[in-house]
Amino acid sequence: MTQASFFPGGSQAARGLLARFPFMPALLILIALIVLNGVFEPNSLSYRAIRGLVSTYLALMLLAVAQTYVVYAADIDLSIGAILSLVNVSVIVLLDIFGGSPAMVLLACVAGVGIGALCGLVNGLVVAGLRLQAIVATFATSILFTGLALYVLPVAGTPAPAAFWRTYGGSFFGVPFVFAAAVVTAIVLYLLARARLITQLLAVGDDAQAAFQSGLPVTAIRIKGYVLCGVFAALAALCVTGDTASGDPLVGGKMVLNSVAAVVLGGTALSGGFGSVVGSVIGALIIGLISSLVFFVGTPSEWQNLVQGLAILIALMVGVLVGRKDKS
Amino acid sequence: MSKLVLRDVRKAYGATVALANGALELAEGEVHVLIGSNGSGKSTLCKIVAGSVRPDGGEVLLDGQPVTVSGPQASHALGIGIFYQELSLAAHRTVAENISLARLPVKGGLFVDRQRARTIAARYIAPFADVVGAGFSPDAEVGSLRADQRQLVEIMKTLASEAPVLIFDEPTSALDRAQVDRFFEELRRLRGEGRSIVFISHRMDEIFNIGDRVTVIRDGRTVATKTIAETNQAEVIAAMVGENREFAIPATSDEGAATGNELQAPDGAPQSEGESARPVALQVENLTGSGFADVSFSLHEGEILGFGGLHGQGQSAVLRALYGTDTTLSGTISLAGRQSEVSSPRRAIREGFGYVSGDRGRDGVISGRPILENVMPVHFVKSRRPLAVPSRLNEQAIPALSALRTKFATLMHPISSLSGGNQQKVVIARWLIDRPRVLLLDDPTKGIDLSTKTELFALIRELAAEGMAILLYSSEDAELLGNADRILVFNGGAISRELQGAARTRFNLYEAAYSAAERAAS
Ligand SMILES: Nc1ncnc2c1ncn2[C@@H]1O[C@H](COP(=O)(O)OP(=O)(O)OP(=O)(O)O)[C@@H](O)[C@H]1O
Ligand SMILES: [Mg+2]
Repeated sequence: MTQASFFPGGSQAARGLLARFPFMPALLILIALIVLNGVFEPNSLSYRAIRGLVSTYLALMLLAVAQTYVVYAADIDLSIGAILSLVNVSVIVLLDIFGGSPAMVLLACVAGVGIGALCGLVNGLVVAGLRLQAIVATFATSILFTGLALYVLPVAGTPAPAAFWRTYGGSFFGVPFVFAAAVVTAIVLYLLARARLITQLLAVGDDAQAAFQSGLPVTAIRIKGYVLCGVFAALAALCVTGDTASGDPLVGGKMVLNSVAAVVLGGTALSGGFGSVVGSVIGALIIGLISSLVFFVGTPSEWQNLVQGLAILIALMVGVLVGRKDKS
Repeated sequence: MSKLVLRDVRKAYGATVALANGALELAEGEVHVLIGSNGSGKSTLCKIVAGSVRPDGGEVLLDGQPVTVSGPQASHALGIGIFYQELSLAAHRTVAENISLARLPVKGGLFVDRQRARTIAARYIAPFADVVGAGFSPDAEVGSLRADQRQLVEIMKTLASEAPVLIFDEPTSALDRAQVDRFFEELRRLRGEGRSIVFISHRMDEIFNIGDRVTVIRDGRTVATKTIAETNQAEVIAAMVGENREFAIPATSDEGAATGNELQAPDGAPQSEGESARPVALQVENLTGSGFADVSFSLHEGEILGFGGLHGQGQSAVLRALYGTDTTLSGTISLAGRQSEVSSPRRAIREGFGYVSGDRGRDGVISGRPILENVMPVHFVKSRRPLAVPSRLNEQAIPALSALRTKFATLMHPISSLSGGNQQKVVIARWLIDRPRVLLLDDPTKGIDLSTKTELFALIRELAAEGMAILLYSSEDAELLGNADRILVFNGGAISRELQGAARTRFNLYEAAYSAAERAAS
């Protein structure tokens, strides 16, 4: 005996597509923005301009990726900007003290990633270990990490050694470093997406109670999520350091909500359990392209913030509408 | 020697005593039935064994050794697998990922071995392959599955634990006949392997079909254990309800069909004479939507119209379309002679529809909110009042809840503090406060115990007698046969047969459902 199948309507395929590629709506928006940018400023599609865009927004992309991993588990990290700042000033100060030889630069970068991981561990212990509300707890740790950053480097300005920003802005065998970094990141993300931890994070975000009852070590998984987030925030900090070539204890503050917006634009659910890092990367690019578009269309400077805010709202709306149409 | 022994296990939530004295002796190679009314502590007992609830006291012995089950991981390490009544699935993960969620196969120490996960899943899906229905595959997202299919995933997940002790907390509540039969075949095979199985269900026929021994639990206390052969339904019910004789249900009710009168129309089934004389409450013509096509029927005031057939043949889809949760492509819906547009549940409620879903986790319960807020949402839609006085709401909520004998501490407790069956009663109670003209019941008794079920149907018949028109879909045939005036048997999204009057027999119902399915398959 077979139970008959009967599903007219054919929306099944569209739904499947959206389930497998939650970033589809974001990708459409991104393409539209690239076209618009090209229309208003043909130069924006030049190799130079794209290279500039990537080197400026690689940091936000990595930060959005970092945020995605905690959002997967229905957590959030508001200290992500403070971690970025702390790593940025730590690296700068380390290099200032020990000199900027290539070996030292490498060591400082490793130390920076370690600091990021440590900050993530603190967040994880506070949020998952002590069971505090993620949004409030990471707000508190963000103040803590900012305090540390200000202690390490009270005022912005100490420059990075030449070896650092020359590498970030330079090319190897004709390939710009930022492109190589983007490709390596893409490979790492591709591999990570297959890691068991990611599936576990998503399962926890889906229904923490169900995950616990299934026998998953929920607390440990959430802590690992925060550590992963800290590591990617630190990588973002290295990009910021390369891009700005200086230390600034407050550099990350304004990027926090951008990272959350990028995650949402990319189709990841803040309620957890569903999403993709690819979407977050696209989301970060959308935010970047919106700022440049606002500039290219010649918005008077006093209106730029307003227009930028409106544009992000529109992008969010379009994403929701496209997503809903696919689902129904 | 007993495989698993529980002695004097206790658990209280604040002032609520969930389990006062839980005891159980589970032998090797037996199916041990646990039975008790809603809120008697069955799930609590299971969760204690599974490690997801820490007991306040008592002893757990495994193979004669005292053990502490500190958590779900510890429980699994001890060789205990559990099916959770409210399921433990991740909605956005695939069937395969869910089946081996706790023990995802890895390669290279880091990466999920998807191929192997799929192979493992296929192994546990195989026994159920011909009853899982459309849209079920290792790669299907669990959230996109029907309630019965999700329940099957939870079963497969439990079986995949390969544990010597298996606990099933109401695994069959959303399954249809064919699915239950297949599941029981699996249980018998596992019992043959020497596994120890705890089985909970409110369906009497299943208990006598699969059980070796039965333990009755009442108000958090284990009151009796007997072998199935030595006892009978009346005795089990008497033990369940205790002194409280008023809860008792007549042993001759439709539930008794399993023990004998298979081929007769049940007593107490309402008479359908003169039905057509009453005015038509709901007229559905050529309704087509996702999952059903060209469905037409009329429902009279005061009539209970049953939807029958195997699972997923369009019954729920039609009810959901009438309630405005699913969109319809064509066809007309007329309420009391007037055509109505039900584009959303909000519209449907104001037009006079009511809807109770058995899939309470998804459609019914507002999780994380107090019981009061879970009883009143319909009232707010209907009354259009922007403000509410809590004390007046309490006055309306309490009678509705007690009409169904709902067991709760206070109205301000979160809905999750209720047992599964009591949550379902809260969902039903919504419609007792503001009565709809047409009540759509989509497997409404999922998880509700026997005595309440009898009372619920008495209440439903009363509502019908007062003129309410009722559409009833049930995965339990006895409910349809015992309560529906007419039964429309669904197959492949269309009505394949109508059973009326004396034709409403268990035999005809099976025959219509199964032969129609075979015809469709061939
Ligand atoms: N987390 C909780 N907080 C407060 N009370 C609870 C909680 N869990 C269960 N209870 C209470 O404990 C009692 C027993 O619940 P339990 O879920 O074990 O019942 P059950 O026998 O499984 O019932 P059902 O047949 O309805 O599933 C109920 O009165 C319930 O309200
Ligand atoms: Mg229960």
